[in-house]
Amino acid sequence: MSVWEILIKYYPAFFSGLSVTLKLCGIIWGLGIVLGTALGFLGWKFARSIGWPSRGVSFFLGGVPLLVFLFWLHYPVQAMFDVVIDPFFTAAFTLTIVNMFGVADIVRGSLNDFPQQYLIAAKVTGLSRRQTIFKIQIPLILRQILPSLIFLQVAMLHTSLFASLISVEEIFRVAQRINAQIYRPVEIYTALGVFFLGVCLPINALAYWLRRRFTRDMSER
Amino acid sequence: MLHCTQIHKSFNGREVLNGLSLEIKPGTISCVIGPSGTGKTTLLRALALLDFPDTGTIHIDGQEFQFGPDLPPPAPERTIWPNVTAVFQSLFLWPHLTLRENILLPARARNAAAEKDIEGLINFFEMGHFISNYPNQASIGQRQRVALARALILNPRYILLDEITSALDIEQTAKILTKLAQLKERGIGIFLITHHIGFAAKAADQIIFMSDGIIAEHGPPTILCNPKSERLKKFLSMIEIAS
Repeated sequence: MSVWEILIKYYPAFFSGLSVTLKLCGIIWGLGIVLGTALGFLGWKFARSIGWPSRGVSFFLGGVPLLVFLFWLHYPVQAMFDVVIDPFFTAAFTLTIVNMFGVADIVRGSLNDFPQQYLIAAKVTGLSRRQTIFKIQIPLILRQILPSLIFLQVAMLHTSLFASLISVEEIFRVAQRINAQIYRPVEIYTALGVFFLGVCLPINALAYWLRRRFTRDMSER
Repeated sequence: MLHCTQIHKSFNGREVLNGLSLEIKPGTISCVIGPSGTGKTTLLRALALLDFPDTGTIHIDGQEFQFGPDLPPPAPERTIWPNVTAVFQSLFLWPHLTLRENILLPARARNAAAEKDIEGLINFFEMGHFISNYPNQASIGQRQRVALARALILNPRYILLDEITSALDIEQTAKILTKLAQLKERGIGIFLITHHIGFAAKAADQIIFMSDGIIAEHGPPTILCNPKSERLKKFLSMIEIAS
């Protein structure tokens, strides 16, 4: 069986796995970006009470392999509290936490490093606070963080494959099941790669386009 | 009138402004001269209420701002600016906006004729061929003209300028200095930190010579011909050697 034959024969299974992957990513991306932005902003505003603890958690998460964190939440924690949670939600929760702290780091860093002279210029030219935020701060910060934010989201899409290891029926697990039936690992995982390329390439292209569109070299001569 | 009384400012235990008092009247040009590192820019930032002095008082058209260790820092209303505006040596143009947008963004809210006025400024400062560029696509001289135009279009009452002609050629410098003389006629109070002693001698109403955080000598431009203090004499002789 060739890659194309596998794709043609098993595309409903692949699509069903892909839809689970995308649902999972929808949660991870949506909640991660919204909560991470809020956490990053609060961490910048209240550096001592929120910023430093948030950095501490982020540092801790950076030191724990994602798979260990995922397994820890899936098995020991649930056993400790004697609960059983759908692996999909465990994976969504774990990856959202990781994404949230990643986004918070990006947002907080950008706010901390925001050049004060642009705010001084806004002040002496009489811009209101609202104008300063919406016309100066947000556009400049967005330009700065957008590429790294999108690349983080692509990385989260890739790490969503780990969800298969706790039995989430996402695309990687579907590929594993098909392989268990017909044992054609080269063709099946190539087909999986083709599916992933189909999803990741447009997102990567969007990231590059945004980078070209918004993050031109702004350094002065 | 914009005036300050007995202002002090220290950084890391070093007194940068040491009991300065001065007045800037509307329709006058006050030129501040002095060696580097004597607190000229610190004074400008204090007068613009961007960096508060440690102690002293600043009056802006009847509004009083008092500073002291036991006083809460004043919270000037944002309406202070751009009636008092400033152009700095580092020009602080917003990098994501074109030069035209840099001028128009603050102007639209303040000046109903901003779209029309900008054309006059573009012509005056000969900015037509680069006004659609972004700041990083413009030379420092071009950016200096834009920064000044951004301040002028706001019709401020007091304009504080820090070495704004440092990167301009003689022709552009002369144009800007001519413009400043016109602004003075319109009743705008101008505070100019400059090394152009010739302009200061010709157009200023008062010369303020700063040295080591104090006003070592001040008075009409004639003090440049007959300096009393040794420090000003020495400074002027250095400028003569340099030029």
